[in-house]
Amino acid sequence: MAARSALLKYLRVQVQAVPQNPSSGSPLFLSTFNAIRRRFFSEEVRGSFLDKSEVADRVINVVKNFQKVDPAKVTPSAHFQNDLGLDSLDTVEIVMALEEEFGFEIPDNEADKINCINLAVDFIASHPQAK
Amino acid sequence: MASLGASSSSAPARAEVLALFRSLLRTARKFTDYNIREYTKRRTVDAFRHNQNLSEPSSVSSAYSEGKAQLEIAQRQAVVYQLYAPKIKSVMDLKTHH
Repeated sequence: MAARSALLKYLRVQVQAVPQNPSSGSPLFLSTFNAIRRRFFSEEVRGSFLDKSEVADRVINVVKNFQKVDPAKVTPSAHFQNDLGLDSLDTVEIVMALEEEFGFEIPDNEADKINCINLAVDFIASHPQAK
Repeated sequence: MASLGASSSSAPARAEVLALFRSLLRTARKFTDYNIREYTKRRTVDAFRHNQNLSEPSSVSSAYSEGKAQLEIAQRQAVVYQLYAPKIKSVMDLKTHH
């Protein structure tokens, strides 16, 4: 019984000690932590995902503006080589034009995979840095 | 493709050629002067179009090494031109302000 109350007292102290920790802990540490958190998780650094329909519209516009493409043939699911009659060099140029439109760099291994409008839209919509 | 994984002396792989094309276009974008930027881009596209039907491995690899040499020149010049960027922008730059 004595052991139990001693234990309870000990536990209560422990429980009270926990919420005290943040306030009694060094405020300097907290503020620097918050500053770091703000910096690393801020909207501007993390970026935000663009709306998929907006991305699709802008991608289609870029492709339509490419000089070798017949704008009438551009559909949301058009394949660069099969439907639009472009070759691998044109595809590289289109991906570069998409980089300029959305203001970020697409790594080479990802750029190689983009061979139709659908893939381009999916990649850009899932990329936080796209603007 | 037989040329995949081949040594540098034989014809470059398709992926290597496309990577060179992309590097040249990326370097072209770095020029601060509109005229040089557009020229480098146009010259790159024209040269690759001109050589796209080469089939002889020796001529493909000589065109490839020529392109590599041009890439190095363009990269150096892009840095030099950035140091001496023109104060007045081209009219074309003003129009496409975004």
